[in-house]
Amino acid sequence: MALDKKSGYRKNFSLSVTFIALISILFILSLFLAFNYSKKSIENEFVSEKVNVLEESIKPYNEFFQNKMPEVSYYNGFLDSATASKFVDTVVHKFPFVDKVMFYDSEVKNVPVRDGVNVGHLSIGPKSIFQFGKKVNPDSVKLFSEQYSRSFRIDDDFNSMALKLVRFIDQIDTASVPTQEELFTNFSVVLSNKITYLNIPRREDLKVYKEMLQSKLNPAPVYQQDILVFDLDPKKIKIINTRPLLYQIIRVEPLTYDPIDTSDENITTEIALPGAFSDFKLYFTSSKSYIKKEIFIYFMPIALVLLLVYGVLLLVAFLIYRNLNINSKMFKLQYDFVNNLTHEFKTPVSVIKIAGNNIKSATALTQKEQQLYGKILDEEADKLNGLMNKLLAFTQIENKAIILNQEEVNIEDFIESTIESHTLKHPDFIMTYEVVGFKTFITDPVLLGSLFDNLAENAYKYSNPGNKKLNVSAKLIKGVLVFRFADKGIGIPSSELNNIFKKFFRIQNEYNQMGSVGLGLAFCKELVNFMQGEITVKSKIGMGTEFKVVLPYNIKN
Amino acid sequence: MLKNIILLALVAFIWACKGTKEEKIIPVDNFFRTQDKAYYHVSPDGKSLSYLKLQDKKLDLFIEDIETGSVKQLTHLDEKSISFYFWTSNNELIYYTEDESKERKSDLFVVSKDGSRRKQLSSNEKTKVRVIEDQLIDDKYIILASNKRDSTVFDVYRLNVRTGKMDIAAKNPGNVTEWVTDNKGILKIAVASDGVNETLLYRENETLPFKPVITNNFETTLQPVAFAENEKDVLFAISNVNRDKNALVALDLKTGREKKVLFGNDTLNVVDAKYSKAKKKMIFVTCETWKKEKFYLDDSTKVKYAQIDKLLPGTEWRIMDKDKGDNTFVVRTYTDRNPGSYYLYIAGQNKLKKLADINPSINEKDMSEMKPISYKSSDGLTINGYLTLPKGKNATNLPLVVLPHSGPGGRNIWGYNADVQFFANRGYAVLQVNYRGSTGYGKSFYAAGFKQWSDKIQEDVNDGVKWLIKEKIANPKKIAIYGNGLGGFVALNCLYKNPDIYACGGSNSGVISLFSYLTTIPPFLKSNLQMYYEIFGNPETDTDYTRFASPVFHADRFKAPVFIAQNPKDPRVNVAQGVQFVKELKKRNVPVTYIEKEEGSNPVLRQQGRTALYKALEGFLQENLKQR
Repeated sequence: MALDKKSGYRKNFSLSVTFIALISILFILSLFLAFNYSKKSIENEFVSEKVNVLEESIKPYNEFFQNKMPEVSYYNGFLDSATASKFVDTVVHKFPFVDKVMFYDSEVKNVPVRDGVNVGHLSIGPKSIFQFGKKVNPDSVKLFSEQYSRSFRIDDDFNSMALKLVRFIDQIDTASVPTQEELFTNFSVVLSNKITYLNIPRREDLKVYKEMLQSKLNPAPVYQQDILVFDLDPKKIKIINTRPLLYQIIRVEPLTYDPIDTSDENITTEIALPGAFSDFKLYFTSSKSYIKKEIFIYFMPIALVLLLVYGVLLLVAFLIYRNLNINSKMFKLQYDFVNNLTHEFKTPVSVIKIAGNNIKSATALTQKEQQLYGKILDEEADKLNGLMNKLLAFTQIENKAIILNQEEVNIEDFIESTIESHTLKHPDFIMTYEVVGFKTFITDPVLLGSLFDNLAENAYKYSNPGNKKLNVSAKLIKGVLVFRFADKGIGIPSSELNNIFKKFFRIQNEYNQMGSVGLGLAFCKELVNFMQGEITVKSKIGMGTEFKVVLPYNIKN
Repeated sequence: MLKNIILLALVAFIWACKGTKEEKIIPVDNFFRTQDKAYYHVSPDGKSLSYLKLQDKKLDLFIEDIETGSVKQLTHLDEKSISFYFWTSNNELIYYTEDESKERKSDLFVVSKDGSRRKQLSSNEKTKVRVIEDQLIDDKYIILASNKRDSTVFDVYRLNVRTGKMDIAAKNPGNVTEWVTDNKGILKIAVASDGVNETLLYRENETLPFKPVITNNFETTLQPVAFAENEKDVLFAISNVNRDKNALVALDLKTGREKKVLFGNDTLNVVDAKYSKAKKKMIFVTCETWKKEKFYLDDSTKVKYAQIDKLLPGTEWRIMDKDKGDNTFVVRTYTDRNPGSYYLYIAGQNKLKKLADINPSINEKDMSEMKPISYKSSDGLTINGYLTLPKGKNATNLPLVVLPHSGPGGRNIWGYNADVQFFANRGYAVLQVNYRGSTGYGKSFYAAGFKQWSDKIQEDVNDGVKWLIKEKIANPKKIAIYGNGLGGFVALNCLYKNPDIYACGGSNSGVISLFSYLTTIPPFLKSNLQMYYEIFGNPETDTDYTRFASPVFHADRFKAPVFIAQNPKDPRVNVAQGVQFVKELKKRNVPVTYIEKEEGSNPVLRQQGRTALYKALEGFLQENLKQR
């Protein structure tokens, strides 16, 4: 820890924990807020969506009012009982809320009528009255006719429509063209559950009506007008629940409907029906548990998104943590390396220093001493040079900064010279070799030499005294060269096998306390890679290690 | 720089050349333009020519001395405009003016031809006047029909042009629709109608009561032409009593029988006949097959008229007016490609002088030929019609516009037709069909169309189209149908019933419901209504048929694009219904082009309305025929 601090490298476990805790709290908080939001919006929708239900459910009524009813005008007063009956059939079939239709086959004339409305010289009276509808008894279809006037009072519907017509004719300015809307409003009476419609005559006819109102025309004209009274039943409106998950029950209720038993279990809302149904409203009920389902349906996607965000955050945190870990390991390796390197340089430098001091302080140097110091200085300088060359070569190879030298190498000579140089250095090192299948090949002898030297050096270094043996075999197998370096050394624990080719890695044991910077095998690996080959290792603790190097077999053409 | 200019000029030149090779697109208004100088009349002595000319938006009366060529303007009107005028003697004219108000207030004047004497005979009358005898009797009376006693019926009056006094000459019992005087101005004939049947009434002189001579169904024609001056109680009349085609006959007014057939033929239908007061005989009849043709009953007339033929080669002509001595004529020419011109012809000098072109903006070379066609309907009737092909195009695979004519009765005629030429100029072949029920092909053909408005009449139109497809003239994918009035009714019915034939269709002021069409006949004309019920069916008893036949009830069956134009101020049309119909179509996602057109008496507004209407129609056809 102290080391970490000094090097400026920090690792804080509690920071990670705090971070995770914080985002977890945020996650839970946002889940909570999202749920509340869902609840609020569903509750809002419960109130606002009723407009859509109303709109959809009232569509047939609007179609009836705006399209079907005005069709009466197409007949221009020529509607008779048979055609009217057919017309009503289609209406009742298509618009189930139409209960019953009264049909007043009427006349507008200059002659006063007994039944009907007489204003000025204008008289409006029915010739015959019929009623149609699903519930109408076939023998009570015809209610009245001029010939057989049964006792039947012309009711208010007829009179109010007729009076409205008279009022309109009275006020109309025959010079101007009445608008569509004006005509429609003046030729229909909308009451509660009842619409009266009078076919709209031509402008020319209205002019004549106006004249008829003021004076008796000669010859007395007679005009046909059809009045239809539609009895509507709001209970038969087909309710279209556009949000079946939101509204459990929708009913048509009178405007005054307000049940006392409003238990906490249900929530309700209402909206008034338009037009002829204005005494009624749509009444919406849903139990709270019913609503809850809808809330969850609304909430689930939000929750999933939040979860996803949370997961991504956690993943990112983990990855950052992992990277930091790796970096910290790397940092430690580099630190060790510098340590080792310093140590490595320290020995020759201090030897040189001592030799220097000795030479400086000695008054005279004997031949022997001079030779000794010279040899020491020369050796130590070589050591330093070797170290520096190694470091330089390694970085060069690693950065692919050197160019491969292609030369023909006689493998037997090459191995022999390697053995010679090593046994010269270490007389107790026993090296053997075998070559099978080839004699020469093309490669960079310097790099190959480095490789051989390093591997041989390692074999010597990591073997117990008296057992320092290395067998080098070179074989041509299936078109590639396979070199094996098998020693009888201490072996490498299998847990470390994966790491030995890493830079600055050293197995911590007594054999490498000195003279090692942990670059050797990493350097070998870089060399082999550079020569387009492969290096692998097999090892058993106490039994020995075998490095296998596979190189491409190139020969001179 | 100079190079560029030369290049530019070259490009412009090439472009211009290219333009002339393609058919010129003629502006809409050019087709419909009419002359501002018309209503030519010759004085009875043949010395003066009179005409109306537009001065400051009002028509004024001008007199030209034929010999000297000096012109005098007789009227300077500012409030009212002349509706009609006539020569009442060699030196005097009578003219009738109306204002544009709703009541159509009218004045009547008599004026001498030099303008020195002028007398107002009536002022600001709200009644209507029809002239029965325009020549002065006893140098002071003319005979008029007026509805001043009862606005629904016309009584006959004798008007003293010297004092302005009007005396009733015959009171209309209410059913007389036509009055005829003899050559001396004595009121001898009345035609009474109960709507379905027409009765010819006759009296020998004005002291006797009218007696019925002959009664005919409305399908039958009996049209008085002139009294025979040489024979007593004989009337020349165009008649198809007991025959299919119209003939010119001499009718014995005592017995009601035909005395003589002056001109009659199984295939030729007489549409007009001319009597010469100078020769005291019938001089020629006009028959119409695919075009009008004159057949002479007098040799000297034949020789005289052959001179006019020689002077006017390659064109048809008819006499608009002539003097009493058959010497000075106002002649109007016409062809299918030319609305024609007015000429003054003086027989004595064999001299022809052009007075005016009817529509100077029409160049005959740019117009298309109107060819007569005929084909067999699917039930074996021969149907006649006309086919106009666009100029400069091969007669194969053309987009087609079908124009059913309005009705009831009526027919398409050969001659210049602005609508037809407009469509042809825009690159469409135009088919006009004289479907059954059209007049001019005999009584039985006329009657064959009764109550067939939603059946055989449409089949006749469809058969014509199928015939054109079979002849490879029409492109079966590019056929439109369009009509006015009842033509629009036929068009809409054809359109929705035959989606396989028509790609689009339209109606202009069209009848969309027979119910409302039949209510346009005022209730006090109940008798007349019977005739319409014969032709269309009775909406009270045949409600189902009437409903079936009316397109307004079948909005759900329309699929193809529809063009609908109507005048929102038209009091005779149920405008609300038209709008409702359009709304219904739109709701059913039928593409509708709806035009509200202006049809006031203001000529500028009327022209603007017409331009807008035809522009919209052109666009509608372009979109639905050419671009498919």
